[in-house]
Amino acid sequence: MGNLELIVEKHSERIHHGLDVLPSLRYGLPAGLGNKRWTAELILATYEMALTGELPKNGLEYKTGDSGGGFDVLGWKNNGFAKVDEDSVDLSISLNKREGGKIEIPLPIYGGGMSFGSISLNFMLARARAAKKIGTYTSTGEGGYPDAIVPYRDHVITQVATGMFGVREETIQYAPIVEFKYAQGAKPGLGGHLLADKVTSEVAKMRESSMFTSLYSPFPFHSVYSVEDHKKHVDWIKTVNPRALVSVKVSTPTDVDMVAIGSYYAGANIIHIDGGYGGTGAAPEIAKKNIAMPIEYAIPKVHDYLVSEGVRDQIVLIASGGIRTADDIAKAIALGADGCVVATAEAVAVGCTHCGNCERGRGCQVGITTTDLELSRLIEPEWGENRIVNLYNAWSKRLRSILADFGLESVRELRGRKDLMVRHK
Amino acid sequence: MDPETAKPSKYERFKIETKPAPHVYPIPNKFDVSARKLRLAAMLVHEAFEFKLNKEVVLSRPCIYGVFGGRFGGFKPLKHKCVGCMRCVQEYPHIMTVKPSEEYKRLGDSFWTPEAVFTIWNEASTGKIPVKGMGYKGAFGGEGFDGIWTDMSEIVRPTRDGVYGREYISTCVDIGRKATSVNFGKIDHAPSTVDVPVPIIFDDLPALEFDVWNAVGKAARTLGTFFVTHDQTRGEDYRERMIPIADDNSIDETLELKPGIVEYDGERSDLFEKLSDSLPSSIVIARVPLREEAGLVACKLAREGVHGLHLYADYHGQDYSEDPRHISESLKEVHQLLVKEGLRDQVTIIASGGITLAEHVPKAIICGADLVGIDTTVLVALQAEFLGETRKRDTYQLRPRKIDPAWGTQRLVNLFGVWHDQLIEILSAMGMRDVRRLRGDIGRSMMDAELREQSFKGIAWAT
Repeated sequence: MGNLELIVEKHSERIHHGLDVLPSLRYGLPAGLGNKRWTAELILATYEMALTGELPKNGLEYKTGDSGGGFDVLGWKNNGFAKVDEDSVDLSISLNKREGGKIEIPLPIYGGGMSFGSISLNFMLARARAAKKIGTYTSTGEGGYPDAIVPYRDHVITQVATGMFGVREETIQYAPIVEFKYAQGAKPGLGGHLLADKVTSEVAKMRESSMFTSLYSPFPFHSVYSVEDHKKHVDWIKTVNPRALVSVKVSTPTDVDMVAIGSYYAGANIIHIDGGYGGTGAAPEIAKKNIAMPIEYAIPKVHDYLVSEGVRDQIVLIASGGIRTADDIAKAIALGADGCVVATAEAVAVGCTHCGNCERGRGCQVGITTTDLELSRLIEPEWGENRIVNLYNAWSKRLRSILADFGLESVRELRGRKDLMVRHK
Repeated sequence: MDPETAKPSKYERFKIETKPAPHVYPIPNKFDVSARKLRLAAMLVHEAFEFKLNKEVVLSRPCIYGVFGGRFGGFKPLKHKCVGCMRCVQEYPHIMTVKPSEEYKRLGDSFWTPEAVFTIWNEASTGKIPVKGMGYKGAFGGEGFDGIWTDMSEIVRPTRDGVYGREYISTCVDIGRKATSVNFGKIDHAPSTVDVPVPIIFDDLPALEFDVWNAVGKAARTLGTFFVTHDQTRGEDYRERMIPIADDNSIDETLELKPGIVEYDGERSDLFEKLSDSLPSSIVIARVPLREEAGLVACKLAREGVHGLHLYADYHGQDYSEDPRHISESLKEVHQLLVKEGLRDQVTIIASGGITLAEHVPKAIICGADLVGIDTTVLVALQAEFLGETRKRDTYQLRPRKIDPAWGTQRLVNLFGVWHDQLIEILSAMGMRDVRRLRGDIGRSMMDAELREQSFKGIAWAT
């Protein structure tokens, strides 16, 4: 074994060990870890769940952050509902309510788009493998479809975004679901930007561009000015791959309800709204904090409008952008979503500290958002797969517990049940 | 057109030339990284055995930013390089500690957070927009500007050129009174408006050092904007960019100066007539503190014919009402009253006080301002020292340091460049081509309090 291998092995072993022992609080709560949205406790609780597949038992807060609003000020009623057996609770949801192929996922969760180039191939593989094991999906993001994830294609969503990077006939034909990314919550209205340092030869090849040149995914689709144009897009995908479901990912402007209904009339199966407080890629700070509304406010707006238009039961509403915990998922569903898309929590499961240095120097220090060959190897796909699967197992337990406490036998019964929540000041 | 005789276009694309202007005074490390030395030594011995004295492997360090790249490795970490990634803690939790440094936590005052101070420092030193990965990390909403989100459009763009079309977005605004209709047979005596390429000016700051004034004046000239000053002897080399504040004591100096724009105390002084009669081609702006009756005062002044209103709050963005409100509230109120009275389009509104971050500019404009004035932010960009609270205009505790005016100028140019870019990000996301369209456009914003009530309707309060 050469020195490079030894070095990678040494550090990955030590990181793994650290992720295992830190949640025990044997060394206290690391003072420099976390922030208001992802508190140190939430990060450690996620490490713990990724290790054990169980909810933390040592008092670590695993339900909410400390942001002072949104999901963090919502709680659950405790009014003596007739409980049901947790094991009998059904967490599955359908991703198609229209005609055509029916797809169900066993949890109301699938993985969000993180592109090859913005994240390492190993992390991408870990996510794909986890999606396959769970029976859900993960998304390519807008960076192409590496050959290594083709074996998992029945669980991979192909994303079509404005830069069209890696969008080819076969990648659309592979996909059970094709996701149009009109906008993303972390940088709504601003398009994507992969910094030059990350455009290695592999990334450039995949995106059919030049090495070490910044790549822009310009906002918006230059072929879409209207719902009719949008329908053209949907028709295009359905022609190339008639069995594919179409998801439309949009941000959360004031008229997000109108955008949702437009997507419905264009023939989309899934309307995916992405709030501003999530996102994994690098984004200007001003965009993350200030543009478009948080997902907590957008979900009821869209849900209520789709109900009032009489189409709510014909389209799937998926929420993302700041979903950190099982409780966030349950609250999003109670606010009106059918399910959620998760990305950051998967990164935290494999060691992300939410430090935000993804674009600095060689990229992520634990091999998540990097194309550096040495750092990428800190995540072994199998190890990453197990941790993500464990996290979702722990979340399933929490979701079942919430539903059972309210006497609900299916997560589908929770949709729009705002009456089951309480607000804290 | 005959290419031989065609004259070259005089069109110049507006661009703010930023370039690095590194900190002159040391800034605190954001993180304090330390190792338990005995445990570190024990770990090294242990790893030496484990890796059979393979030096490269044993000494390979758990930091990709070079914190342990110094001669003494973890025994004397290079703290200034720490970015708080926590990998060393993940790898060696029994040895390493990383925490926010005490010096960092002490930065600022009750309004200026350490994060905000760091943001301004970095913007002024690099001229680059702050970019980070892995989503938003702060509080959900909050008071004032923190409780406002700006809109975006899924498909409408200023241009169809994506990021390359942003140069077509205009951030130019006019200062001065505008006639609302053409009155044939009557000559309009209002002076011409003056335009500024970025909707930001430098507001007055009492007790500034000579070099700071020079930096401000030169930056104003470079940027094509203005600086407001009560002391007309300061920054006089840049007098074409000066907006003096005239009062009864200084009126003669002001008249002699013949400034293009002049301000006066709109509440306590009746200098408008004198100034507009003596300086017929100057734009006369009344300074009005924001408080309960500011709307009525503004309407009265607008009817009297002032060309603009400079509405100000204290340096923490709180107005002067008995029960102080954030400038976003009182500004909106004044703007809406002027609209209701049919006076809004006749006057320019400059808003200042508490404009300390790039996002405050579009948000203040949404609340009704045409442009904003910045104050303590200037001093923070120039690495002034916080000595206490910076709230009060006359006794703010921010001590300017000795600076090289050229360095100071570049820091302020960088700050404007970065804020300009961020304003364009906001306008671009909204699909707006002109910042003037943003003024008072509350419909393109979203308020935390309103959204919360709409979206959480039906959710009971916890008891």
